[in-house]
Amino acid sequence: MTDHTHYRSAIMSDPHDPDPDLRAHRDSCAECRAFTEQLLRFEARLERALLVDIPVKSVVLPFARNGAQGPRRWMAMAASLLLALVIAAGAWLTLPQRSLAAAVVAHMAGEPDAWLTDAPVPDADLNAVLKDSKLHLKPDAGVVSYASSCEFRGHRVPHLVVQTPSGPVTVMVLVHEAVRNPKQFDEHGYRGTIVPVPGHGSIAVLMRDANPGSGDVERIAARVDNSIIWTR
Amino acid sequence: MNDEVGGNKRRARFQALCQSLRPDLLRFAFWLSRDRALAEDVVQESMLRAWKARDSLLDESAAKPWLLTIIRREYARTFERKRFATVNVDELVAQEEPMLAAAEEQDISDVRAALMRLPDEYREPLILQVLMGYSTAEIARELELSGPAVLTRLYRARQQLRAACGEDVRLDPQE
Repeated sequence: MTDHTHYRSAIMSDPHDPDPDLRAHRDSCAECRAFTEQLLRFEARLERALLVDIPVKSVVLPFARNGAQGPRRWMAMAASLLLALVIAAGAWLTLPQRSLAAAVVAHMAGEPDAWLTDAPVPDADLNAVLKDSKLHLKPDAGVVSYASSCEFRGHRVPHLVVQTPSGPVTVMVLVHEAVRNPKQFDEHGYRGTIVPVPGHGSIAVLMRDANPGSGDVERIAARVDNSIIWTR
Repeated sequence: MNDEVGGNKRRARFQALCQSLRPDLLRFAFWLSRDRALAEDVVQESMLRAWKARDSLLDESAAKPWLLTIIRREYARTFERKRFATVNVDELVAQEEPMLAAAEEQDISDVRAALMRLPDEYREPLILQVLMGYSTAEIARELELSGPAVLTRLYRARQQLRAACGEDVRLDPQE
């Protein structure tokens, strides 16, 4: 039996601990649920605070060799660049999926106001948010009641709340986050999925577990995906 | 000839690997040392050591933890060489203020200032967990601690940070 003290100690150690006992306590205790939401908001601040900006050119790679000449040098540079891209893409694709899902949940918990309204966002505001990600939404996408360009893992990404027949869902368009396969998650009262969008990163779709009549989140994600028109 | 081509290929792969990881390594070294100049020196020296020890990296997918371990050891060596008796946190905060205050929002700058004041034994596991995505078991292995000891340190790290930022840290809501 988990009590307040045990629950709070555990999630202060690991805010994304999936332990079912912790979840059961959270579901049954409004005070600890509020405490968790506050902790996740703080976690989002902490993640951003740790991303200090240090120019990488301050460190040179001591094993880079200067002896190559002429065409060989260019070929070596091209090979290095290609390898860098392949390795970087590989590293990107093998990042822990749970970490991305946890970051999405933490980010969303950090913007609780996003859920407060169901009034449509003015078209001009929505277009301004979507412009940088080179996309727009088809008219049948549903009412967008919240649109913000948010900093997420070092990039600006659109954070939307779309009103659907199953209730409001949060959509984050993660152009810079490539994933191999769809990834479902269920954390801290939020259910969602992150689906790959070939050539355009991925899309995260989340809904609150408590949504009355909440439907199939994968189906909603597919609908959102179909509603996006990429302009690049 | 073949040896030279093979050597060049290896060098290129290793360089590309280090280039892609360099931003994370610099951030890790900064939060370890809380001193940007020292972090740059430590990463620079670590790159050289990594190149010399490249044969010990058998699996490229393990490059990141391998490099982080080298950085931790290099930082510890630097600390031993300079024989720092104490660290004046106020001086460090003042020294790094331009970078710490570079965040657009005040609340982010506040968290950075609180992180600077967090004791090493709490700050390091927290960086590994939040910045590097390590699990509790991975942190325990890297820091040579037990799992419960890691969890205690992570709890205390968040408790101190959140308290410094004016957050509710009560374990019992009735307190």
